[in-house]
Parts: sequence; structure tokens; C-alpha cells
Amino acid sequence: MTALETASAPATTATPALACRGLSKRYGDVVAVEDVGFAIAPGQAYGLLGPNGAGKTTTISMLVGLLRPDSGTVLVGGTDLAADPTRAKAKIGYVPQEIALYPELTGRENLRFFGRLFGLPRRRLAARIDEVLDLIGLTDRADTKLGTYSGGMKRRINIGAALLHRPEVLILDEPTVGVDPQSRKAILDGVERLVEEGMALLYTSHYMEEIERVCERAAIIDHGRIIADGTRRELVSLVGTADKVELVLDGDVETAFAKLRAVEGVVEAARTGASSVRLIAEGGRYLLPALITAVDGSATVTATQVIEPDLEATFLHLTGSTLRD
Amino acid sequence: MTTTGLRPRPVLALVAANLRRHTRDRVGLFFMVVMPFVSIVFVGMALGGGTTGSSRLPVGVVAEGSGPVTTALLAELRRHPDLEVTTMTSAAELRSGVREGSLAAGLVIPSGSTRLDLVVTETNGSGMAARSAIDVAVSKVAAVEEATRAARTAGVTPEQAALYVRQAQAESGRVAVKDTSTSAGDPRGFAYTAPANLLLFTFINSMAVAAALVESRRLGMLQRALTAPVRHRSVLLGEALSRLLVALAQAALIMAVSALAFGVHWGDPLGVAAVVGTFALVSTGAAILVGTLLRTPDQAPAIGPPLGVVLGMLGGCLWPRESSGDVLNAVGHLFPHAWGMDALLKLAVPGTGIGAVLPQLGVLAAMAALLLGASLVLFGRRTRALG
Repeated sequence: MTALETASAPATTATPALACRGLSKRYGDVVAVEDVGFAIAPGQAYGLLGPNGAGKTTTISMLVGLLRPDSGTVLVGGTDLAADPTRAKAKIGYVPQEIALYPELTGRENLRFFGRLFGLPRRRLAARIDEVLDLIGLTDRADTKLGTYSGGMKRRINIGAALLHRPEVLILDEPTVGVDPQSRKAILDGVERLVEEGMALLYTSHYMEEIERVCERAAIIDHGRIIADGTRRELVSLVGTADKVELVLDGDVETAFAKLRAVEGVVEAARTGASSVRLIAEGGRYLLPALITAVDGSATVTATQVIEPDLEATFLHLTGSTLRD
Repeated sequence: MTTTGLRPRPVLALVAANLRRHTRDRVGLFFMVVMPFVSIVFVGMALGGGTTGSSRLPVGVVAEGSGPVTTALLAELRRHPDLEVTTMTSAAELRSGVREGSLAAGLVIPSGSTRLDLVVTETNGSGMAARSAIDVAVSKVAAVEEATRAARTAGVTPEQAALYVRQAQAESGRVAVKDTSTSAGDPRGFAYTAPANLLLFTFINSMAVAAALVESRRLGMLQRALTAPVRHRSVLLGEALSRLLVALAQAALIMAVSALAFGVHWGDPLGVAAVVGTFALVSTGAAILVGTLLRTPDQAPAIGPPLGVVLGMLGGCLWPRESSGDVLNAVGHLFPHAWGMDALLKLAVPGTGIGAVLPQLGVLAAMAALLLGASLVLFGRRTRALG
């Protein structure tokens, strides 16, 4: 059972660790973000899903104080970011999508830099750096230059730098891009542990399974607007009971594709490759014989896969594109 | 768990991180620690290797005859303390020497004629000083000739005439005016190349470290720093102070080593500190401007140092300014190096204090204010527009 499935109530019962309301940002005539709002309670993980250019990074930039919104408010642990940015920012740990670290410095020196930036006293900082290095599993590489680290190790230091001051809310922007599976697992395990310890989490990722695993709630953002918000069950229910059916065909794929679209129960159809198609179909798992029969004469079905409704299907349904577009 | 009450020290954090980065850059360190001294030594030796401004001016003389006037004039020129006379065989060779700068001036003494041919580059400081010294020597010989002729006309015997002339020369020596306001030209050797390379490398290495600023932007370090509980101006100050300290460290290193190893006399410490500090601010402003305008770190070393070299050329940091013409020297004064050279060379003259370089300091301060102001405003806008 995923974190999204176990969530039961919206994050409005206590003072939210992070809340935003009516956030909007325009660049000339282009609307980057419009009327975005959500709240994350302490100990809650919240996912933000959207294709490239949907407004995720602009939203996050406004949440961490890098961009001034045209309208709307951001409250961090009850502190208004616009009114008291220093106090509000001290409660946020921000992990940018890029590896924002000095490659000439060692892992420990990079952590020391961020710790000093957040004003941690020298002695407390030294102890805290050791704790964070232990948490991210890089104690043995702490004193080697960052430039010699693997991509996954850099990502872990990137996250560690945001944890030094024990933030109330951790904002992770695509934290696992380009990392090996081992580092990815280590990152996700660590993030889950932080949430269990009571840290609020805002998580954006291209990897739907990461959002499903880590987050209790998620919002789907597209063209700068949140178009759906809820638990996994709530979000998935938006596409009904339709399954995703993927077929690999051999033969006249074009004609077969046209026939498949016409099968009763098929809600959506898309070509995913030269010989592969993806269908969204009500009760797709029961529809397989009909689908195989439908293409008979034009093509042969050489492989099938049925996927029950998930966030990705929801995303496709709501935005008309896959998350990696 | 509380995060309130934190007392961030972002400026020091940024400075410490940036300085540590620079110390890890081996190529940068080579250009900062080794190259300036290679340049000081080799160019200094080429210019004469002296450590003060008192070395003598090389003057070429072509004596086409061997009469008494020629002999007297050659003797007088050789006696002059500011001149080093070299006898040459042809006027063409002499002109070439003046043109190339190996001679401060040249004098052709035609056979049987009192009309002397002085070869000098008019805009050349050493040339003007040499001309002045030659004028003195020629006047002295002419005066002796006139006095001898007058004595003979008055019916004095040649012996008596000679005695009167010797007395007149002795009187002339006693009343000789030492004109300290007449510059003997720029100093030569290390006395010239040390300040020249201080300005050159302080500026060039500031330009080179601009790459680190571009890299910080590219890596997203500045954006990330701005998400910490720090003020925007603290980040600006931290970045600016890092560059200023690098520039000051470069200048201090060149001053210390050149004074200890080459015996270079820098002059009034207060004046030198003011000039060098102001020039370091100019370099810092230029570095931040370049670091803000460029897009990739590779562009900084490709653009910054060549720009520094060109400004150094115009300012007289690569070769003596007197080798350049009026126009080039005037153009050079549109940029900071020439003003820095003016000030540092003036301060190297014994007895010169900060008051003597106030005009140069004023110009440098204005340039520093302009560059720092523009660069910080631009840098501030760029970093505010992040995201």
C-alpha cells in the first residue's frame, strides 16, 4: 500500500507547515502560475505533479522566496514569507533540481557552507554535519572533493545541505533525476524517514512511482493551474475504473490501431511506438480477448500488458500528455 | 525543534567558501603566484634591471668630425650625470635606436658645422629629459667657446683667456641650478615593471576569478544561497568582498616579493595603500560586471584576461609608456591602468606623499564607484530575477 493510499484527511487540521493561497505569476502576457493554493501539515508529504513548463518550478520559486508572486500569500509554519522572509526562510529546507554545490569543495565543506549560511553556531554545526553525513550515508566520503562524487552521491549531499538547520518543511524539486537505483532508494528511504519524524514535505518528480510511494496527497498542475488535488484514491477515481492496456502489434499497425479505437469500452488510444499502442479502457483486463479479435486480419498481438488505474493514467486523462512529455 | 533566533553570517560564509575555491584552483594560483614575478623579472631585465628611478638615460652620438668643439661637446655629454653616451657610426643607426626606444635621444655632430642635429621622440618622457640634459651640455660648451672668443677679442692672451674660461666654468658650476621639477622620465627596470605588473595581474586575475562567479550562477549556488534566511545585499556583499580580497592579496604579494627580492622602493605606504586599494576596487567592479554579464564560466578566461592585457598595454603595464605615442597614452588614460601607473610611479619618487597623487586617486575612485555601482546593480537585478 502506498503513502498516497493510506492518507485519509486533507492537511487542514493543524497549523500547516507550509500553506499557499492564490499564488499567481505572470511574465508579460504569459501566465506562469495562476491561483495556486495548497496546505501541507507537519509530518505530511505532498506531491506536485506536472509536465515540463506546467509551473512547478515557478511555484516552488515563489514558495522559497526566490520569486515575488504577483498575488497570493505563502505561510511557512504560520509566518508570512512576504512579511518576514528571514524568519520564514529559516523554516524551509530547499533542494533544487540542479546540484547546487561547489565542486571544488569537499562534501563536508559544502555542508559547512550551507550551515553557516543558515547561521548555525560553529560547534553545533560540526556535530550537525556529522549527523547529516550519517543520515545520507556519506560519512566515509565526507572529506573528498565533491567533483569526485558520483551523481547519486552529489544528490545526497544536495539534500543533506537542506537538512542541516532542521527545517520544518523540506521542498524537493526532482531530487532523483539522473541517479543510480541504489542512490535513488537511499534518497527515498531517507525522505520517508524524515516525514515519519514529523517533517513536512513538498515533492516534485517526473517519476510517478516516487510520488505514489512517498506522498500522502498530490496535486496535478498544468498550464500554471492546479487541476486536481487529493489522495491517490481521490485522484485515480477521476479517471473512473478504466485500465491501461498496452499492446505490441505485428502487421498493419495503422489499420489495427484504428480498429482498436473503435472497440466498445476503449476510452482513449495512443500510439506509443512504431508497433505499440496504449489504450485506456473500461474494464480493460476483461476486454483483452475482444481487442485481440479486433485486430485479427490486420495485425497480430505479440505482447500485452494491463495496468490498473494509477496516477499516471489520471495524469494522462487530466492533462492529455504523459508526465515525461 | 526551533529555527528562530538564528544569526546567519552569510557574508563570511560566502567569502570563506570562495577563497577556499580559489586556493584549490591550481592554474589560477600559478597565474597569481608565479606569473607576475616571471613577468617582473624578464621585462625588468629587458628594461635595464634597475630598482630605482635614477638610472642614466642612454644617448647616442654620431661625431662626424674630430675638431675641438666636437671633442669638448663629447666630453661634456659624458660628464653629465644623467646621460650614458654611446658613440655610433651612422645617423641612420642612431635614428633607428631612438625609434626602437633603446636610446632616449640621439645627437649628430656634423663636421665643420655648428648646427647640431638632435634626434628625439617628442612625446617620449625620457627623450624630453635627455634633450634637456643635452641642451645643458651644449649650452655649456657654447658658453665656453663664446667666452674664449670674447677674451681673445679683448686682447687677452690665449693662456689668460683659458684661465678666465676655467674660472667662468667653475662659477657656472657653483651657480648651477638643480632642476628637480624636470622629470628624468619613468624609472627603468624593476622599479617600472613591479608597479606595472601589480596593476596588470591584479586586474587580470580579478577578471579570471570572474569565472568563479559565473560558475556560482550556473551551478545555482547564488539562487540557493538566496533561499537561506539572508538578505539579498548580504549575498552581493559576500561575492564582492571575495573578489576584492583576491585582488588585494595579489597586489600585496607582488609588493612584498618585489620589495624583498628586487629591492623595489614603493614609496609612501599610505599613498601606495590608497592607490592599490582603490585599483583593487576597480578590478573587483570589473570582475563582478564580467561575472554577471557572461553566461558560461569558459567565457570569463577567454574574455577577461585579454581585456586586462589590452588595458595594461594602453596603461603602460607591458612596456614603458614613453615608447607609446601621445595618442596611445591619451587613450590609455580613459582606463584605470594608466592612472594607477601615474600614481605608483609618482609615489616611488622619494619624498612624494599621498597629496601628490590625489588627482589620480580621485579618477580611480570615480572609476571604482562607477564600475562597482553598475556591476552590483546589474548583479542584484540578475539574482533577483532568478527562478
